[in-house]
Amino acid sequence: MDLQTFNQIAELGKLTFSDTERDELLTDMTEIIDIMDTVKNADLVYDPLKDNKNVFINELRKDRDEPSFATAKILQNARNMNNCFVVPKVVE
Amino acid sequence: MNLTELSLRQMRSALDKKEISSAELTQSYLDNIKKTDAKIESYVTVCEEAAMEQANAAQERINANEVSPLTGIPLAIKDNICTEGVRTTCASRMLEDFIPPYNATVMEKLNNENAVMLGKTSMDEFAMGSTTQTAYEKKTKNPYDLEKVPGGSSGGSAAAVSAMLAPAALGSDTGGSIRQPSSFCGVTGLKPTYARVSRYGLIAFASSLDQIGPIARSAEDCGYLLNRVSGFDPHDGTSMHMAVPDFTAKCGQGVKGLKIALPKEFFEDGATEFVRKTVLSAAEKLKAMGAELVECSMPALKYAVPAYFLISSAEAASNLARFDGIKYGHRSEKGSTYGELIMNSRSEGFGREVKRRIMLGNYALSSGYYDAYYGKACALRQEIREEYNKIFETADVILTPTAPRTAFGINENITDPKMIYYSDICTVTVNIASLPAISTTCGYDESGMPVGMSIIGKMWDEETIIGAADAFEKTFTRIPAKGVC
Amino acid sequence: MAGYVPVIGLEIHAELLTHSKVFCTCSAEFGGDTNSRCCPVCSGLPGTLPVINETAVEYAVKAGFALGCDINKFSVFDRKNYFYPDLPKAYQISQLNLPLCINGLVPVEYEKDGVKTTHDIRINRIHLEEDAGKLTHNDLEGVSLADYNRCGIPLIEIVTEPDIGSAEEAKAFVEKIALLLKYAGVCDCKMEQGSLRCDVNISLKKPTDTVLGTRAEIKNLNSIKAIGRAIEFEIYRQAKALDMGQRIVQETRRFDDNRGETRSMRSKENANDYRYFPEPDILQVNMTDEQLMSIRSDMPEMPDKRLIRYTENFALSETDAKIIINEKTISDFFDDSVAAYNNPKAIANFIISEMLRRINLGEISLDDIKFSPVNFAKIIEMAETEKINKSNAKDVFRALIDKPEIDSEKLAKDLGFIIETDMAKVIDVIAGVISANETAVTQYRNGEVKVFGFLMGQCSKALKGVATSKQIKEELEKMLKN
Repeated sequence: MDLQTFNQIAELGKLTFSDTERDELLTDMTEIIDIMDTVKNADLVYDPLKDNKNVFINELRKDRDEPSFATAKILQNARNMNNCFVVPKVVE
Repeated sequence: MNLTELSLRQMRSALDKKEISSAELTQSYLDNIKKTDAKIESYVTVCEEAAMEQANAAQERINANEVSPLTGIPLAIKDNICTEGVRTTCASRMLEDFIPPYNATVMEKLNNENAVMLGKTSMDEFAMGSTTQTAYEKKTKNPYDLEKVPGGSSGGSAAAVSAMLAPAALGSDTGGSIRQPSSFCGVTGLKPTYARVSRYGLIAFASSLDQIGPIARSAEDCGYLLNRVSGFDPHDGTSMHMAVPDFTAKCGQGVKGLKIALPKEFFEDGATEFVRKTVLSAAEKLKAMGAELVECSMPALKYAVPAYFLISSAEAASNLARFDGIKYGHRSEKGSTYGELIMNSRSEGFGREVKRRIMLGNYALSSGYYDAYYGKACALRQEIREEYNKIFETADVILTPTAPRTAFGINENITDPKMIYYSDICTVTVNIASLPAISTTCGYDESGMPVGMSIIGKMWDEETIIGAADAFEKTFTRIPAKGVC
Repeated sequence: MAGYVPVIGLEIHAELLTHSKVFCTCSAEFGGDTNSRCCPVCSGLPGTLPVINETAVEYAVKAGFALGCDINKFSVFDRKNYFYPDLPKAYQISQLNLPLCINGLVPVEYEKDGVKTTHDIRINRIHLEEDAGKLTHNDLEGVSLADYNRCGIPLIEIVTEPDIGSAEEAKAFVEKIALLLKYAGVCDCKMEQGSLRCDVNISLKKPTDTVLGTRAEIKNLNSIKAIGRAIEFEIYRQAKALDMGQRIVQETRRFDDNRGETRSMRSKENANDYRYFPEPDILQVNMTDEQLMSIRSDMPEMPDKRLIRYTENFALSETDAKIIINEKTISDFFDDSVAAYNNPKAIANFIISEMLRRINLGEISLDDIKFSPVNFAKIIEMAETEKINKSNAKDVFRALIDKPEIDSEKLAKDLGFIIETDMAKVIDVIAGVISANETAVTQYRNGEVKVFGFLMGQCSKALKGVATSKQIKEELEKMLKN
């Protein structure tokens, strides 16, 4: 795995690494990707229909609303203000 | 009467006959925890006060003769199962202070019966690993040898049961996380059929593979506990409307006429000679008891580990994306923008193994790689399922080693990821194929470490594998863990 | 800067009118105190699982029927992964390869250079997904605040083929879609509340070009007017750039309503890579032919069919028919009224001239019409059969708005509008008027017919509620001749 790919993947997962961490991980990942690459030898194609569990529309949850949670419980593990989650200012 | 040596059924009977109280029973376990858990480190959180309160509440029900099977019986719960008001950490710095505002469905079920929760057990961080050494706080030790790993990821649950710190526990199994630590710690662990037990409230590692299941000191106890947590759950869209039979129905009935398949690939690669011999001699023993051994093959086993890692890492990368420090979990002090804050929170909150899997998962899913990796892994999953179906055409159950080798040393310092990942080869196909499997001890190696064998069943047929494991257990004398004595 | 052909495709997001959210049981109603309509599932707490709402799937299928789509009887949900503070799970549950609906067609009528044109717009797909939360920006504290009430409101995304050629056509298309969705009963299409939102993909090409140009995507347009203005600006901007030999950058742009301009949104360092994969927490949804038929049979008659029926069977003018069809409530009310009194033209006229006026004045709420079509139709029937004077019908209607539960005939009676038709009295009164206005009568008989109006007025005044004008007029003419 090259450094550019590594950096792109890290960005996708929102992770940062120190140089040492990165170098270790690069080595590990290259080795693991070697293992993962063996699946390419299997001459198979995924068929979504084979995974069908035969659930039909009429078996789905009925559309009834129920009381929500108390706002305080929803926010109990978060930094919050005015009953909202606090996020650093998002500039669009 | 040694309270901590009773089976769940014996406890039930002793409680109902008022020979013991739930408080006494609970206290005896809390005493054991106090005495030895400093060495074992199986619990992340011990709920001493709450447990005694629950025991007293349970006693009122017992006194009123309004009991359910688990009323007043103490249990340990893996720390990735959400418990309202009780810290649920996934053994991660990320969730060090996370207090769920809701209960997992399995907890609702246990609470409705007034079962007693002794505490939350340690695990590999976010259930990723097979050593319990990636835990942020409590790196659990093997009760048979404190220098050795208890296995993982449900190492805390397995070690607690093994060390008499809980009569039974709930764990979770994504690629062997119940069976392998049960094997390492010399106890019995059962991974139910996928969708048998609700996953609601189980902090997800890999959604299509995760399943909650029991770890106990016998197959019968596993069945007894599994009965209490199984069933359709309207909060889990993947759980199934399947009848929940008495899982212990086949206990005590032996294995006469049971067709046991031995897929040769499981005994060829990876497994040490000692493990191979031990499991094969257990098979011979079962044969002597009236079972029929069937030879079979699973050619796709060579793809099982990579397919498992692709699927589990991809799902994990997505499942763990929600941990951003905003809604819950570790929030970095650094970072002035949203992007910086979540990047720092995640980088500080997750350990190395978790980050590695997130990286792999995102790699496997990223554009340009999806078909070659994830798509192929899903095709392999279908192939492995078909191979299992074929074996089950001529066999009732399948017997394999649970792990290629017995518990290894904490300081053995296995850094080769290849080595670590292939240690899962015996267990992952069961998750890939959604099957139930039970691991029970079938021997001890030269240093006294337990060897586990796995009995794999057909979909929804936990009864048969519990019955088979029970039959074996009744002929096998376990050696108690010495690390705690 | 001439000679470019705009190529436009739309992505329309419509919130579905379910009671509960698409994956949990929280209320899906608009608004509410911040984070008061949340539970562990929709706020993305660890361990939670989505459980799909049957009605949301049904509504998406209905939208598909309304837009002439084929329905996939086997449909799969996928995760679309990206980080944004309004998306608590960091993935949106959506559909990629097997959406619920595909291959639709929507005919759109609009004016092109003053000429009425019809064009069929192809629908690529409609898929079901979940809405995200809302962010507000607190400048004082320098933070953004996230509210998850909207998280998990069911949303359909309608994706067109790039078949649209102008701002006018795009506007007409969105209006048509809104109408169809309202008819299907799946979305209230209140753009101002965000229940219908539109993204525009637009590129320009030369008429001879066989490949499409590079496109820009304009996000989140929330009014028909904004859609038109944004497209017009974008055509101007891209044409100018192309004329100057510049290349168009593929990017996401935002429309600034105040300036009437689109502006590039801050580009993200990474091109979006959503890493779609099948959602393992939701099982694939199957539908049988019978189930689809049953959903289809729930659909009301759609606007295009109603137009044919109104113009051909009811002989309404196209303009009138369209006015009525434009609001499903009105059209349904019209049909029910016609069922009570089979005089579509009269009913249509009264609805257009009176009822819609009262609705616009706010005297009647469209969402809650209190009087029944039967009671309403009776007013028109009375006027048409000259039980009351036509001019009095309006007054009866106003009385009905105030007292919707009272029978309209009784209202007319109480107002003294019911015509009794007492011909003896008519003759009596006319005789009186004739004898009291000898001069005028003589003038009339000498051929000054214009005084008839004066005499008629005298009679009508005295005969209010006794006979119809027609009867009075006939009698007066007869008596003047003698």
